Amino acid sequence: MPYQVGVTIRAEVSPDQLRPVREWLADTGRKGLTGPPFDVAHLRGVHFARFYLLDEVADLDGRLIPASLVFMSEVDAPLRRHLAELIDVAGDGIDQAFAHCAGYPGPRARRRARIAWLRRHLVPASAYYVNTVGRGLDQIRQEAKLRDALEGHLDRRDWAGRPAAEVRQELQDYVASRGDLSWAWQPPPPLPPMFRIREAVHKAAMPLLLLLMLPVLLAVLPFWILALRKSELAKQPEIGRPTQQQMNELEAWEDVETQNPYAVIGFIKPGRLHLLTMRAVQMATSYGARHLFTHGSLAGVKTIHFARWVPLDGWRRMTFVSNYDGAVEAYNDDFINEIWWGLNAVFGSAVGYPPTRWLLWGGAKLEQPFKYTLRDHQVPVPAWYTAYPTLSADNIDNNARIRAGLAGEMSPAQAEQWLSLL
Amino acid sequence: MTDTLDRADIQGIIARGYSSLGHARFTLFACDDQSASRALLEWLLPRITSAARKFSADTAVQVAFTPMGLARLGLPEQAVAGFSLEFLDGMAAPNRSRFLGDVGESAPQDWVWGGLDGPAIDGLILLYASSAELLDERQGELAQQFAASGARPVAVLDTLERQDREPFGFHDGISQPLIRELSKASRTGRPVPAGEFVLGYRNGYRQLTDRPLLPRSADPRKLLPPDPGGSGQADLGRNGTYLVLRQLEQDVDGFWRYVAEATRRPDGSDDRGAQDALAAKLVGRWRSGAPLARAPDRDDPALAEDNDFGYHHGDPLGLACPLGAHIRRANPRDSLDPRPGTDASLQVNSLHRLLRRGRSYGPARASRAPDGASGLYFICLAANLARQFEFVQHTWLNDPTFNGLYDDSDPLVGACQPRGRTFTVPARPVRRRYRGLPQFVRTRGGAYFFLPGISALRYLQRLPASVPSGPRTG
Repeated sequence: MPYQVGVTIRAEVSPDQLRPVREWLADTGRKGLTGPPFDVAHLRGVHFARFYLLDEVADLDGRLIPASLVFMSEVDAPLRRHLAELIDVAGDGIDQAFAHCAGYPGPRARRRARIAWLRRHLVPASAYYVNTVGRGLDQIRQEAKLRDALEGHLDRRDWAGRPAAEVRQELQDYVASRGDLSWAWQPPPPLPPMFRIREAVHKAAMPLLLLLMLPVLLAVLPFWILALRKSELAKQPEIGRPTQQQMNELEAWEDVETQNPYAVIGFIKPGRLHLLTMRAVQMATSYGARHLFTHGSLAGVKTIHFARWVPLDGWRRMTFVSNYDGAVEAYNDDFINEIWWGLNAVFGSAVGYPPTRWLLWGGAKLEQPFKYTLRDHQVPVPAWYTAYPTLSADNIDNNARIRAGLAGEMSPAQAEQWLSLL
Repeated sequence: MTDTLDRADIQGIIARGYSSLGHARFTLFACDDQSASRALLEWLLPRITSAARKFSADTAVQVAFTPMGLARLGLPEQAVAGFSLEFLDGMAAPNRSRFLGDVGESAPQDWVWGGLDGPAIDGLILLYASSAELLDERQGELAQQFAASGARPVAVLDTLERQDREPFGFHDGISQPLIRELSKASRTGRPVPAGEFVLGYRNGYRQLTDRPLLPRSADPRKLLPPDPGGSGQADLGRNGTYLVLRQLEQDVDGFWRYVAEATRRPDGSDDRGAQDALAAKLVGRWRSGAPLARAPDRDDPALAEDNDFGYHHGDPLGLACPLGAHIRRANPRDSLDPRPGTDASLQVNSLHRLLRRGRSYGPARASRAPDGASGLYFICLAANLARQFEFVQHTWLNDPTFNGLYDDSDPLVGACQPRGRTFTVPARPVRRRYRGLPQFVRTRGGAYFFLPGISALRYLQRLPASVPSGPRTG
């Protein structure tokens, strides 16, 4: 069972390549990443992948941040294999993409030089959420196949009046007759021991560290809270509505498959207070995502497959990206109704976010300013790949439960319950 | 915290469906220029029916406008731009069509009206009357006024005399949101704040939904109500709302043919009982209107008006009412996250309600004539098109993965798309799947309108003459 890695590769676009890169992105968006030159489907373990452009922008001090091209993927470990396959399998596509960027070695360069370039342009995330840690692409595909096989078998006959245990037995017999489903009798293999040890150590160490620092933190806390509240009370700019053109550019790439790619980016408010707040909240978010929200729900939101927060430009900007089920309106409503406090904590230090109160309150609860500002800070993702375009996170989880209940003894009531998963 | 509604300034259709006026005709119109549209509105204004408490008239008139119609009346571009983005984009815009499922046979290029290539529409006049003769008489007056003022009908949508059955034969219109500020205390159910259906009042988030606010200088005669948000601006939206009109053609023969074939006995004979049962599973109610959640096994006309039920506690798996049944999708009640079966679920559900005001069309039912299509002129009112109408259409009705399903769009009204044509009926010991469901409903026309408050109508009618630069398009 592999763990999942979130890969971000970001490179500056050469000034003369801005128009070509835009055209290339739109063209790649229309063609998709599945076929040549990317053949992403032939890369091992890629759940999602995307290319998008971050436009040139002046930061809060007026310094120019040049435009950059971003590649992201959510992929089964190891990272080393993925980077190598990006060149070995998708090399033509990667060459095309990053030819728009300064310093890319290009197709004539040796394989190792190109991989090393990709590696040098990796950007670490400050927090990373995986819907179900360890559920690899092969497992998702296999379990979808198992479900299809069972559903297909159920369709072939009228089962009315048969006891549940008997129906289950017949389904088991059917799976036993299918050599290609023999893997289904075993539970998925466990996560690699090294990964588990690393995570366990991190899970225990962070609270310990926090405990050690508690006297200092308690001394600082009142000042931090007061300073934060003071900044919240200062006058804040009005939140404008995105333009129709912005909306059209975003909507043009949305709602084609079951999932959608999401990407918002914004500046962190100036000053050490906000930087400190952002970093502290990111540490907490990362801890939550790594150790608390590892099985099917990000604090109550169950429609997110992957999400991550990536600080950019030396923590001047923060970007949040995800792959989620359904429409953006539904996503925003989940934010407002279920994890408003988390959104406020994470984005309260970002420029243009609706005013928060004591960091956690207000903010997302202001429905229209919140929805406007997210749309206003959203970046279109023209080129996007999903390995399972028809499966919601709920479907994937249900498939896993079907597999988990295939083998072993069950009471009639348990068998009945298991059959209701189908 | 309850707002007091300014009922006299609200068009009546927000408060009532005019059930006492059995006859209705909807006219989509366009005007040649500003003077035509002002003349038409001037004529209409004294005739507009308000939501004032006592209603006993034998006719009613309502009017609503598209962005183009508002521009034609002389509303400056920056004021028009204050309306919602969905309204400005229009129902037939390509991104919206994909989102709403208006693709394939429902695509706007084949619409009878409202499509991108069709004639422009400025607005909509809804005319109601207690008798067919009276309706004809009023419609005749309207036609004369059109001719006199330089307006023309783009389409005249004639409806069937109102009854409580929609063309497939089911008792319809049972579940309507109760507006807190309008409902009588004795009614059961969970009232929804008026701001969900009328602009300028607090909505389900206890906030004011965005609407066009104008600088005071734009309203020198003080015709408009002030912004209740306290900005000091004039509120063009207050007491108005958005109106969605869609022509949904129903393949009644196709529906019953499918149900008959899917339930045929092995010997090839019809099974009437099974037909009724499958049809009820598709809809979620029996023909009488009795909900499956309450009457799982057979129709019970005593429960025809029953609307006081939930799903999660009695039927979490959909053994009585399938998860994919039409009414369980259009209004999932307490079925969905967060925390199904609790108040939290109902609270979120109530943020996605629609006030439905549609009427059926088609050949008169008594005649049983096979000619002519039938269907529904679906009308709904909502203060927030994105969160209410579009959300329900996309996320609840069309999404094949709704509520844990895999490939099930709404079996009655789901989108014309390759995916989603499965219908799953949960059962013991195992579910039954119906695959490759035909399309029973096609969209044949549609548009978004703004239904202004009566003060706003007066304001629009008296806008200064504009430079004849032509209206903005799109």
